[in-house]
Amino acid sequence: MIELQTARPFFEDKPELLQEILGRYPDYGRRSALMPLLWEVQRAERYVSEARIAEIADILDLTATEVRGVMSFYSTYHGEPVGRYHLQVCATLSCKLAGADQLTDYLEDTLGLVPGETDAEGRFSLQKVECLGSCTTAPVLQVNDTYYERVGRADVDALLAAMKEDVLPEPARVRAGDNERYGPAAPAGEEDA
Amino acid sequence: MSGAVTDTVDRITSRRDPRFEVTLYAYVGVEGAHTLDAYLERGGYDAARRALAMEPGEVVDLVKASGLRGRGGAGFPAGVKWSFMPPPDGRDRYVVCNADESEPGSCKDRYLMEDDPHQLIEGMMIAGHAIQATTGVIYVRGEYHHAYERLRAAMEEARARGILGRGVLGTDVDFDLILHRGAGAYICGEETALMNSFEGLRANPRLKPPFPAQAGVYGRPTTINNVTTLASVVHVVAKGADWFAAMGTDDSKGIHHAQVSGAVARPGVFEVPLGITYREIIHDLAGGPVGPAKAFIPGGTSCPLLPFDDAHLDLPMEYAAMANAGTMMGTGGVIVIPQDQCIVDAMYNVVRFYAHESCGKCTPCREGVATWLPKMYQKLLAGLGTPEDVDLIEDMVKNLRGTAFCPLADAAAWPVQKSLELFRDEYEYLAHHGTPMYPAKDRWSA
Ligand SMILES: Cc1cc2nc3c(=O)[nH]c(=O)nc-3n(C[C@H](O)[C@H](O)[C@H](O)COP(=O)(O)O)c2cc1C
Ligand code: FES
Repeated sequence: MIELQTARPFFEDKPELLQEILGRYPDYGRRSALMPLLWEVQRAERYVSEARIAEIADILDLTATEVRGVMSFYSTYHGEPVGRYHLQVCATLSCKLAGADQLTDYLEDTLGLVPGETDAEGRFSLQKVECLGSCTTAPVLQVNDTYYERVGRADVDALLAAMKEDVLPEPARVRAGDNERYGPAAPAGEEDA
Repeated sequence: MSGAVTDTVDRITSRRDPRFEVTLYAYVGVEGAHTLDAYLERGGYDAARRALAMEPGEVVDLVKASGLRGRGGAGFPAGVKWSFMPPPDGRDRYVVCNADESEPGSCKDRYLMEDDPHQLIEGMMIAGHAIQATTGVIYVRGEYHHAYERLRAAMEEARARGILGRGVLGTDVDFDLILHRGAGAYICGEETALMNSFEGLRANPRLKPPFPAQAGVYGRPTTINNVTTLASVVHVVAKGADWFAAMGTDDSKGIHHAQVSGAVARPGVFEVPLGITYREIIHDLAGGPVGPAKAFIPGGTSCPLLPFDDAHLDLPMEYAAMANAGTMMGTGGVIVIPQDQCIVDAMYNVVRFYAHESCGKCTPCREGVATWLPKMYQKLLAGLGTPEDVDLIEDMVKNLRGTAFCPLADAAAWPVQKSLELFRDEYEYLAHHGTPMYPAKDRWSA
């Protein structure tokens, strides 16, 4: 990928964050900070550019190739930006048995995207992912960091409409089985307390 | 085994038994139960206090006596694993919590971490004391954002009140935690791959031996356990080994979590005494199948399917009975497959999962699981297969069994083999006709 802008180092104005991350690990385990550093960049910029790879390599005394090697192993880090709303549909068995194939078709038709694509505006990306650990509340749609469970057509419609207004609704956080709970949604803002 | 509780006459093996009480999951789904104040109010960290007053070896013996086996899938006795740790030699020692939960069909750990994070922290403190480790690592899969935030907040609360850090709970024992986030790779659940991942490497499994107790995280002595294993320890200490061993069977003691999904009326996670029948789990707890069912997976997709018939529904949920039936109890993730679901299509879904998650380190898995197995299924499902292709699939999975570097290849091969044993007619129908016996249908109900 060609880098046109000479980016300011990502961690330049975030020394506390950098120190906090490095400080989590023992001196002999400095390299453990690699995944958290990649994650911070991915989360903020929606991809990890070559410039960021070089920066992280510098911080940890690694080569860019070593960083790229780790990055490419995991599916969370992207070399190209994903949309502001990254729609990840679980395609694995329990979700399939609850209609994940049809849910995916519906998202493809509605958004005009196939899995792996991002729309021209950079608003939506669609991706099929593997089991999200939410099988008893299938089918599951993950948008950025948030799980929407037992999503039906009406839920998808409402969700897409909200995201077009740049709102990411609070999820219901379904609990099924012991202590069954189907909402109400947790109070907003509680998450990052 | 010395100290093990045997010959308990009347063990609890049913949720209908009035003596059974939901314990680990008592506060899952309860608003506000995740805070430290709420946890302390219900007696939280009393078990840790009690354990810290014991000698480390006594805690190990207690857990051994309870019969607790690992809930991550393999079922290794927890206390025995702890006793493998070498004597302290001045090096740092680690207790690691495997919170990578990614075996399809499993979701018990997520709810525990989200709704009762202090229970896990307490379990880690107790395990840490037992193996004399002063650092714990919780490796949470990257997608579990809410669980991560809840754990992070819980750790901060605990540090602020002297529950984690130097001299925990007013003792002279130090213990603190590192919370580490994965990034979307199933193989990180394999314990040595997890350690590589934690160290900032690609998550390829390591050769064993050396085992983690000798050389684990950063080459230091390490014990690794699943979330539910560690949470169970809290109650073993609080209520005693006898309380735990009074549930289940000779082979499999204590409590587990049936996570029921697929074609059932009330999918959900249910805490159960081991020894409970799959009939009670599927029919009573999960409301029974929706329409006719033909098979169920007893413990996550790496466990071969069983026919949905009386003989198999009456089997107890335990390690031995499942091994005898040619499958595994696994994580307890029960998936019910409806009659009208093409089994080839369902197994392709499972194969595709393991193909996607193969790490590419060893040849049998890379070529067999990640490359040829999915291709063969694609050919069959595209209507281009022949009966010889079915034989070839069978041949391939037989050759894959036991030949790969880690158990991931078996996790794909064994279920395929079993599906051929049980539903060969569906494979052959598809190969002959070019269309499945049960065509795809809209399963999106809501
Ligand atoms: C491919 C593979 C994936 C695994 N995934 C998990 C997992 O997600 N969570 C888990 O606890 N154990 C998993 N395990 C089992 C671990 O290797 C290990 O046995 C377990 O964490 C030990 O804890 P326990 O004894 O408390 O069960 C996996 C094993 C293999 C081979
Ligand atoms: S199969 Fe979709 S969350 Fe597990």
